[in-house]
Amino acid sequence: MKRLALGLFAAAACLTLPASAHHSFAMFDSSQTRTITGTVVQFRWSNPHVALFVQEEGTSGRSGVWAIELTSPGNLRRLGWSRTTLKPDDRIAVQMNPMRDGRRGGGFRQVTLLESGESYTASLIDIERNN
Amino acid sequence: MNGGSRHFIAAAALIALAAPAAAQDWDAISMPQPSAEEWAAIAELPDLSGTWSPDIRDQFAQMETNPPPWLLHIQEQVDYLYAEEAAGRPKGLFIDCLPHGSPSLMAVTHNAIEFLVTPGRVTVLGESDGNRIRRIWTDGRDMPDDPDPSFDGYSVGHWDGDTLVIETTAILPQVYLAISEAVGIPNNGGMTVSERIHLLEPDLMAVDMVVNAPEILAGPWETRRLFHRRRQRSHEIEQGVCRRGDFIEVEDEWGNAAWAPATQDGMGNLLPDDLFDDLPEDE
Repeated sequence: MKRLALGLFAAAACLTLPASAHHSFAMFDSSQTRTITGTVVQFRWSNPHVALFVQEEGTSGRSGVWAIELTSPGNLRRLGWSRTTLKPDDRIAVQMNPMRDGRRGGGFRQVTLLESGESYTASLIDIERNN
Repeated sequence: MNGGSRHFIAAAALIALAAPAAAQDWDAISMPQPSAEEWAAIAELPDLSGTWSPDIRDQFAQMETNPPPWLLHIQEQVDYLYAEEAAGRPKGLFIDCLPHGSPSLMAVTHNAIEFLVTPGRVTVLGESDGNRIRRIWTDGRDMPDDPDPSFDGYSVGHWDGDTLVIETTAILPQVYLAISEAVGIPNNGGMTVSERIHLLEPDLMAVDMVVNAPEILAGPWETRRLFHRRRQRSHEIEQGVCRRGDFIEVEDEWGNAAWAPATQDGMGNLLPDDLFDDLPEDE
């Protein structure tokens, strides 16, 4: 289980290997990290990529929804996630590599549930470290 | 395995009795029921049970340090694919959800695999979806003269001590020789893969591969991939249907749970548009 304290944000952000299981994550700009705060609209626990949709704080309507892509359910489970780790209406701060073309999408880096303070990452190399 | 020899002899006897008109009379060959001794003999083989996750860091290191010996005109394509990826336009080699095929299932997968060892056969199961399956025949058969091409090809193997030795041919020409999920070239026919799978440590597996692909490589490409074993239940492989990402959950006109095609961008990412069409565009 990757429940990181907030103080470990920086260390986790240094992990630059992609979380992909299906395609390259090069459409996301790994040189930039953006954190948005908002409310979970949907957490799609589905292959080949789990998807997180977040309504950014201060917005309403579809144009304020971010689509954030993670690795597969199997890999996430090995990292301590479940399909109920995030639920609609959860308030979160999610760190991502934004899409290069400026659309509201990103490659997932880390999420913190603001109510509990629990944090999760999704770097595949952490599966190897879970010995 | 003794059982493999028994299978082979039985098959050979049946072939000898069969009419020689057909080059390969597949119906004349049958698989005998495995004996108790053959099941017991599996216990003497290296234990491949558990879930094997690829070593991702090593995959990336291999990309950097040990690229395939591409033919010169193929290298131009590879350079182009790298440039496209660097520019944020990666070619999605696998976003069509067709099987990775051989050798990419072992070389570039980011998902776990598992091995089922049964009399006369080793089966490799991938996680990405139900099409990631390799059947490796260890019953002593020869490579067929002209097997039907497939994504994973036709694999014949045997145990050399504690090493599973596999030869694979008949791989579809469209199957990529991939070095990542964004860089790979269709093998264009004639690709063969030789593998030696063995344990370096109790929970560390090496897959040593020699790939020959005369249409795209200047010579054999020797490479190794590493897999780590986990036995925790949280690491078990689960069904992961790749194409599920192409659909969203809807209700049909009767109120039944159903699927409908999803809106994606060109790179396989779901877009919010039809997931949240009940939300206004903006407020």
